[in-house]
Parts: sequence; C-alpha cells; structure tokens
Amino acid sequence: MTTIAAPTSTDRPISSPNSTFRVWIGFLICLLTIGVLSAVSVLWNGLEVTNLTNQVPWGLWITVDLSAIALGAGAFSLSAVAYLLRADSFRRIARMAVFAGLVGYTSAMLALAMDIGRPDRFWHPILYWNIHSVLWEVTMCVILYSTVLGVEFAPILMESKIVSKRFPKAPKIGHTIHQFAPVAAIIGLGLSLLHQSSLGATYGVLVARPIWFKPSLPVMFILSAVAAGVTFTLGVTVFYENVVKTRQISDKLRRQIAMLAGLTMLAYLYLKLWDFLATSYYSHLPSRVEDLDLLNRIAPYGSSFWIIEVLLGGLIPAVILLTPKLRAQDKWILAAALLAFIGIVVNRWNVTLSGLIVPMDWSPGVAEVLHVNSYRPNWTEWGIAVGVLGYGLMALTLGLRFLPMFPHDDH
Amino acid sequence: MNKPTQDKFITRREFITMLTGLGASVGVAAVLSDFDSLNDLIQKELAIDLNEEPLEKKSHGNGKHRWGMVIDLSKCIGCKYCVYACQAVNDVPDDMRWNVYLTDETESGNIFHMTRPCLHCQDAPCVAVCPVQATYVRDDGIVIMDYDVCIGCRYCQVACPYGARTFNWEKRTASSGYQEDWGTAEVDRRPRGVAEKCTFCVHRIDRGIPLGLVPGIDRAATPACVNICPVKARVFGDLNDPNSPISQVIASHPTFRLREELGTEPNVYYIPPEGMVL
Repeated sequence: MTTIAAPTSTDRPISSPNSTFRVWIGFLICLLTIGVLSAVSVLWNGLEVTNLTNQVPWGLWITVDLSAIALGAGAFSLSAVAYLLRADSFRRIARMAVFAGLVGYTSAMLALAMDIGRPDRFWHPILYWNIHSVLWEVTMCVILYSTVLGVEFAPILMESKIVSKRFPKAPKIGHTIHQFAPVAAIIGLGLSLLHQSSLGATYGVLVARPIWFKPSLPVMFILSAVAAGVTFTLGVTVFYENVVKTRQISDKLRRQIAMLAGLTMLAYLYLKLWDFLATSYYSHLPSRVEDLDLLNRIAPYGSSFWIIEVLLGGLIPAVILLTPKLRAQDKWILAAALLAFIGIVVNRWNVTLSGLIVPMDWSPGVAEVLHVNSYRPNWTEWGIAVGVLGYGLMALTLGLRFLPMFPHDDH
Repeated sequence: MNKPTQDKFITRREFITMLTGLGASVGVAAVLSDFDSLNDLIQKELAIDLNEEPLEKKSHGNGKHRWGMVIDLSKCIGCKYCVYACQAVNDVPDDMRWNVYLTDETESGNIFHMTRPCLHCQDAPCVAVCPVQATYVRDDGIVIMDYDVCIGCRYCQVACPYGARTFNWEKRTASSGYQEDWGTAEVDRRPRGVAEKCTFCVHRIDRGIPLGLVPGIDRAATPACVNICPVKARVFGDLNDPNSPISQVIASHPTFRLREELGTEPNVYYIPPEGMVL
C-alpha cells in the first residue's frame, strides 16, 4: 500500500466502474433505503416512534448531528491554514476539506430535520430571533457557514466535466468565485470557531445540570472537532489514494496535516485531563460528585470514557499522527482516522447522555424521589443514523469519483 | 404462654397500627369537614364559563401585576386533586402532567407531600435557551409557550431545572380522561411536535381581568389547581400588591423557592412542611 507512485495523473475514465465499486454503491443504496424507510416512519408518526422521553429528550440523533458537524471541521481548519496562514502547500487539500465539510454539515442537517418535532418550521430561527439563545447562535452560524461552504464548493462543481461539458463558461465563473477563497476562509473561520464552540456551550451553559455546567465544554468541543475533522479529512484522502492507486498529496503535506491534527489532539487531551482534575478530582461540588457517583453506579461510564474516548479515540491517534514511522504508512493513517471517528462519536454520545441520565433533583426533601433515567435508541433511531451515514458515504464517494478534488494544476 | 403469635386474633402491633390508621382517617375527615366538599369544588369549577370571544393570540399581560403562587407543604394532604383538575382544564394526559405530585421526606424523617407546577421563573432558563422565542416571560411574570412558533428542538426541556416541560411526542386524539369528573377542557389540545407547560391557567386570567375579576380571589380568574385544593394549600395572586392574600401569606410565613441557588427567581413559593428547617 505504501508503494504507490508519486502523483501522476488523476484522469480516469468516468464510465465503466469496476465490480467493487458497484458492490460498494449497492451497499450504500441499502443504507440509504433503510434511512428513507425510517424517515418516512418518523415523519408520518412523529417522534413517538423513538425511545426518547421527557426525561431524556436528546439521544442518538443529536450525537449523529454533533459528530457530523465535528467531522466537518477539517474544512475551516485546513482552509484557514491554506489561505490565511498562507501555507500554500495546504491548498492541495483545501478542496477535499471543503467537500468533506459540506458532506458533514449536510449530514447534520438531515439528522436535525428528523430530530426537531416540527421539521416544517426549520426556518423559524431565521425569522424569530432569540439572541440570548446559544442554540440560535449555533443555528445561524451553521446556516451562514453552509452558505460559505457552498461558495467554496462552487468552483469545484463548475470545473467538473459534468458541468463544463454543458456550460463551457462554467470553469471561468468558478475561477472567479475561487478568487474569493481567502475571504471565504476568514468568514468561515469566524463562523466555525463560533458555532463549533457554542455547540459545547449548548451543554456548558445549563446551570441546572452539574455534570455539564462548566466553561471548558466550548473549548473542548472546538479542539476535539479540529483534531477529529482534520484526521478524518486526511483519512478520506489516503483511502482515496489507495482506491485510485495514485498519490494525491505530497509526503510533506501529509506530514504537516498529521502534525496539525496530532498536536491539536494532544492539546485537547491535555485540556480534558485538567477538566477532569479541576471538576472531579481536586474539587468536590457536592451535586457533581453525587451525579458522577450515580453515573458510575448505573453504567460503565468510566470505561467508555477512559478507554474508548480518551485512550482509543484520542491518545492512540495522536501517537500515530505524531510518530514519523507510523504516519508514513497508510494503514496507520487509516487506523488513526477510524479511531478518531469513533472517539468523536463516543465523546458526543457521552457528553449528551451523561447530563441527561442523572435526574435533576428539584424536590426540597432528602428522599431520592426521581429515578435514574435510561435511554437506548430503538431500531427507527438506528435506521436514521444508518441512513445519514449512507448519505455521507455516498456523497463522499460520488464527489471523489466525479469532481476534481485534486486538480493537476494547483494555483 | 408459648402460643405462637399468629394464633392470636390480633397482635398488639396490629391493634396499634389499626388504631393509628383509624385515628388518622378521622383526623383527615375532621380537617376536610372544615372545607368545601370535593363535589362542591368540582361543581364550582364546572360552573366557570369561558366561552366568550377568543383571547388575543400573543398577549404579554399587564406589567402592573406579577402573578405568583404559594404552596403550603405543611397543609398539603397529598390528595392530588390539583393534579387532576389541571389535567381536566388544560387537557393534559397522565404522561405529560404539568403539575406533578410526589412523596418526599425531610431530613428528620417526616414524610411530606410535594406538588410542583411550572414555577414561572423570572429568569427562566427555558426562555433563555429557546432558539425562536417560542417561550417567553410575560410582563406579568407568567412563562408561556407560543405553540405556533415552537420548532420542537426540546432544548427548553433539557434546560429547565425542574423538569416542568413536556413534549408532544405523538398526535393526541383522545382527551386526557379527566374531563367531566374534574372540570372541562378550556384550552385547545397542543399539536404534535411542540413543547408545552403549565400556564398558571393564563386563559382564565386574561379573560377575567377585563371583566373586573381578581385572580386569586375570583374563582373564574384563578388557576384550577388553586380552586380545587380542599385544604387551601395553594394560594394564588399578585405578588406586586402588598394587600393581596398571597403577599400577606408570604409576609407572615417562612417560605423558600426551589433550587433558589440557581438564580432562576421562581414566582412559586413554598411553605416548608413540618420538620423541615430552612
């Protein structure tokens, strides 16, 4: 796998897909079918078909939504490095990153459209502003940033053979739009920093829930998103290189991206360590201690936190990305990307559920009057999650196959 | 002498238990006899006629007033009438109760009866987090929902420190099941996919004030849970008016509010049960 030659040509015949490709597309169509069937059931029957309750109103779909947004963070991070820090070598991966970001954000929107009780009112935040709501800020940033991603993505689409064959002027228009890449990168950086962080604040500002309520969550969300998003973008790129058996990015760029992701991952882990030490080890807020005790009693929360989230999802990918011998091998990069993917999903799941499983004790007495909540996604919820995954993979597959993600003449 | 105890017609322990039970029943009956009978209370509720011109859709109330409630835990006998009356008037099914009941215990071991409507916080976390201003604090302190704006994100449920919000997971076709026996449904059933909560029976207040009624004094302008309480454990009224019954109760009793340390400034005050030290 590591013996692939240096970049030569990305010109491939678009027709005559091989049989593996056909099987893969067939598999993705199965995932999408499951998703569509589940979506029909949800839209027809309402959210009663889920296992969500008034005690645990957020669950798997919020996890999918948050994870997809985090995995899309490669777009703004790598664009910012390429166009704002003027690290020209990063331009080579900017398109791939923007596209992965677009796929991540659209996936999140699909999950959200299922999750809100009134999908027909998805546009209400645009009309009815509550500037005091962190979720309103998230919504507006996501809408605006998706527009930025669209602008960044337009040149890729216009240069593609499918479009340029029909509209010969399209590549020229695309080139003009691309002139605005640095501006788009600045706006994108601002918007992404804001909403990636405020997704953490969505939990962090809730004073009523002692496990969530802390100022570290916004910062942990942005750092983990950059680390996982960049690793994911790199992983998709390396996977694609192996499919087309051609190197798309130079060894130097690969090293730079791996360093960026690995160092961010370490920064994230360091913050996470101090978050744990400051809130749970050196200090003892009674309500938080009580809640954590409860969590540890009822669920293997500790193991999924320390082993999956921190060790497998954070420390190991960081070591891989920062060790020259390991990151030079494709299989290790792919392993790091997969682990980071799992790590971010499990983290978002843990954050969401840990705060909701413990009941809020509002009664003035001392009896434990409220029961510990439980939540396990049912088949419909898994069906939507599978469908969103199917959409994401399908979009990535078709994009890489039919759009010029790694053009020869890089500006 | 050595006869096993189960051969006895009745053990001393059982006898004492029975006697205590009987005594308690007589006690409750004696207490209740001082008040209106349940039947009278329900008849008075049913007599309230709200069928007039529809109310203004998005009212903000009159800032002159600040509506609040006192719940006297030393008086509450745990009959749950307030729970049922609320379910009838606001058409709330069992699994979505706006006004909930539970049994709790003081540190000294006294069992007490706890009920909790929405506390109508002046600095309400649910209002702050709503991305579309579908829920808001009115000028008169009542926190209500605009069901036409709510997108169903459920952030308000997650944010409320008191679990006072419920979500319409399904389209409800049947009534709550408490009508006729406990009152008539006075408001529309909420559509599928939106959040809902206790409104302090705002429809009664908004209708009553222009008619010259005083919420907390005139039954037709007072929340159903307050009207139905057989031991008058709930007092409703204007916290801005020092002469209102509620202000006087607060002035003459020790009170506390739930999770006061969070700074949510609820408009519902509790009088502690026996055995609770504030």
